[in-house]
Amino acid sequence: MLFNKKITAGLTVAAMLPVLAACGGGEEEEAAVEPGETITIFQTKVEISEQLEAAAETYEEETGVGVEVIGTTGDDYFQQLQIRLSNGTGPSIFSLQNATVAERLESYVYDLSGEEFTENIAPGMGLMLDDRLVGIPYGVEGFGIVYNKDLVDPEDIADYESFVSTLEEFNEQGINGYGLSQEAYFLIGHMSNYPFSLQEDPVEFMEQVTAGEVTLAETEEFQRFGEFMEAIRANTPSPLSVSYDQQVGDFVAGETAMIHQGNWSWALLEDFGVDFEVGLAPFPLEGNDKLAVGVGSNWAVNAEKEPEEIEAAIDFLEWLHTSEEGKRIIVEEFGFIPAMTNIEAEGLDPLSQAVLEASNSGETIPWSHNYYPANVVPNDFAPAAEEFFVNEDMTGDEFIENLDAAWQNAVE
Amino acid sequence: MGSRKSKVGWYLLFTAPLLIIFTIVVIVPFLIGIYYAFFDWDGIAANPMEFVGLENFSTLFADDRFMQSMWLTVLFTVLSVVSVNVVGLAFALLVTSKLRTANLARTMLFMPYLIGGLILGYIWQFVFLDVFTLVGEVTGLESIFFNWLNNETFALFALVFVFTWQMAGYVMIVYIAGIQGIPGEVVEAAKIDGASNWQRLTRVTLPLLMPAFTISLFLTLSYGFKIYDVNLSLTGGGPANATELFAMNIYNEIFGYGNYGYGQAKAIMFFIIIAAITLTQVYITKKREVEM
Repeated sequence: MLFNKKITAGLTVAAMLPVLAACGGGEEEEAAVEPGETITIFQTKVEISEQLEAAAETYEEETGVGVEVIGTTGDDYFQQLQIRLSNGTGPSIFSLQNATVAERLESYVYDLSGEEFTENIAPGMGLMLDDRLVGIPYGVEGFGIVYNKDLVDPEDIADYESFVSTLEEFNEQGINGYGLSQEAYFLIGHMSNYPFSLQEDPVEFMEQVTAGEVTLAETEEFQRFGEFMEAIRANTPSPLSVSYDQQVGDFVAGETAMIHQGNWSWALLEDFGVDFEVGLAPFPLEGNDKLAVGVGSNWAVNAEKEPEEIEAAIDFLEWLHTSEEGKRIIVEEFGFIPAMTNIEAEGLDPLSQAVLEASNSGETIPWSHNYYPANVVPNDFAPAAEEFFVNEDMTGDEFIENLDAAWQNAVE
Repeated sequence: MGSRKSKVGWYLLFTAPLLIIFTIVVIVPFLIGIYYAFFDWDGIAANPMEFVGLENFSTLFADDRFMQSMWLTVLFTVLSVVSVNVVGLAFALLVTSKLRTANLARTMLFMPYLIGGLILGYIWQFVFLDVFTLVGEVTGLESIFFNWLNNETFALFALVFVFTWQMAGYVMIVYIAGIQGIPGEVVEAAKIDGASNWQRLTRVTLPLLMPAFTISLFLTLSYGFKIYDVNLSLTGGGPANATELFAMNIYNEIFGYGNYGYGQAKAIMFFIIIAAITLTQVYITKKREVEM
C-alpha cells in the first residue's frame, strides 16, 4: 500500500515534469545569450520580410552580430507587438506607424535624437514625440489617383465638374470610372485624408475638432468631399465587394479606368502584367493639384532592452542607412523611396518616380491620417463609409455628420 | 481496502495533469480577467492601470453599440438554434430511413463541420458575391439572389445560413444516435396499434428524443452565442457594424479601441449571460426527458 502510494506520487511528479519544463524553457534560452550579441526585429511591412531576412544575414556575416527577423502577418501587427512587449519577449527593433502609436508606446520608444546618422533624415520626415526623435522613416510613400493613360487625360480630372463628367462618361461605356476597395484604408482611410490635409494646419484643425470647437460638417472642404463621395457612389459599382487585389486586377484588365492607390501598388500592378502606361494624379478636391506624400512606417528601438542590445540595434539601423550595401538594400531590395538625404534613388517605377518628384519639389499635401485618433479608420470611419455605400439615400452631408460622430466616438 | 486507496491514487495520476493544465489556461486567466474588469487600462503593461470600481459595468448599459450587438447576437442565436435543429433533425430522419445511399449522405452532410468556420466563411463569401449575383442575373430573381453581405439586414441571415450549413451535420450525428437508441419494439407496437407515420414521429420518436434535444440545443445555443470565426471571415462585422456579434464586439473593444478593462467587463457580462441562458435551457429540457 505504502509502496503504491510512492509510485503514484512519483508518477504524478513525472507526469508534471514536461509541463514544468515547457514553462521554464524560454527563459533559459534567453539567459544563455549575452545581451548585444543578437538583436531581434519585428516589423509591419510584409512586402519586405524576405529582403530584410537577407539583409540580416549579410549584416551577420559582416559584423558577427546575429539579427533575427520575426515573421509578421501585417493585419494584427500592433496586437502582436503589444503582446510581445507585455510578456517580455519584445523585439529590439520594431515599427511605429505614426505619432499616435508612438504616444501609446511611450515607455518603449528610445530617443534617437543624438545619433549622428539621423541628421540625414529629410526635413520634417522623422517621427517626433514631443522634441525627441523616436522613429526613422522607412521611406516616403504617396497616393492619389492611379490612372490608365490610354483612357484618362489628367486634365479631365482636374476639378469637380470635369471629374464627375468623366465618371459619368465611363459609367455609360460600362467601365468602372473610379475604383475603391473594401479594406478600411482603401475605402475611406486614404480618401478622408484630403479634406483634412487641405486645412491650413491639419494637426491644429484636428485638435479643434477633438475639442469640439469646430465640426467637420461645417467645414467647406468636407462639404465638397461629401459631394465627391456622392458622385463616386452614383457612378461606380459598390466598392464593398471588391478587395484590394480585385481593385488592382480590374484596373490592369482595363475594366477600371482609375483607382485610388499609392506607389506601393506597383508591385501588384507588375505581378498582374500591366501593359499600358500608368500615371499618378492628385485627387481634385477643391482644385487640389498635389499628391499626398508621407511616411508609412518608422523604425524604432525598444528602450526597455539592455543598454548593450539597444546599442547593437542602433548600430544595425546605422549600417542600414549609411553603408553602401545598406543603402542599396533600401532602394533596390525594399523598393523604398528614401526619406534620407544621403541615399540616392535611381531606376524607380513610374508611380514612385512621381512621388519622388513631388516630394523633392515640395509640392505635396501631408498624410493627415498619421495624426488621427488611434485606429479611428478601421473602428469608426470604415463602418460609416460602409453605411454610406449601402444606403443610396444617404446624402454626402449626412455622411460627413457620421464622420463627425465617428471622430468624437474615437477620442472619447 | 487497499485496492480502494490505490484507486484514488490512480485517479489522481490521470486527472492531475489535466487539472493543472485546465487551471493554468482556463481558471487563472478567467480570474485575472475578472480582476482587470475593474480597471481603466489600455493593455500595455508599462502604462498605468486606474482602479474605477464598477464603472465599467455601469457604462455597459449605456453603450448603444454593445446593446445593438447584444440584440443582434440574440436574434442570430434564436434564428440559428431553430434552423440548425430543424435541418439537423430532418437530415437525421432522412439518413435513418430506408434510404439506399444513407451512409454516403451521412458523410456528405457531416462534411461542412469538418471544414471549419474560418474557411467556410471565405467560401461562402465567394458564393454570395459571385454565384448569387450570377443566379440573380440569369433567373431575374434579383430580389432574392443578390449579394446578401452588402445588405444590413440580409447579412445577418447570411450568417445564420452559413452557420446552419456548418452545424446541421454535427447535430444530425447527435440525433442519429438518439434515433438509433429508440427500441424497435416500441415503434413496432405503435405500428401494430395502427399509428400513422406522423403519429409515430410526434408521439413516439420525438418524446424519446428529448435527451438528444437537450444536448443539441445546448450545443447550438452556446456555439451560437460564442460565434466568432464565421462572423469574422464572412462579414467581418459589416456592413456598418450590422453583424457585429458579441465576441467580435469584445475583441474590437479590447484590441481596436484599446480599452482592455472595459472589454473585460463586457466579457464577464457575456459569460454570465451565456451561463444563465444555457443552464436554464438544460434545466427545462432535462425536465421534459422521458425515462424509459
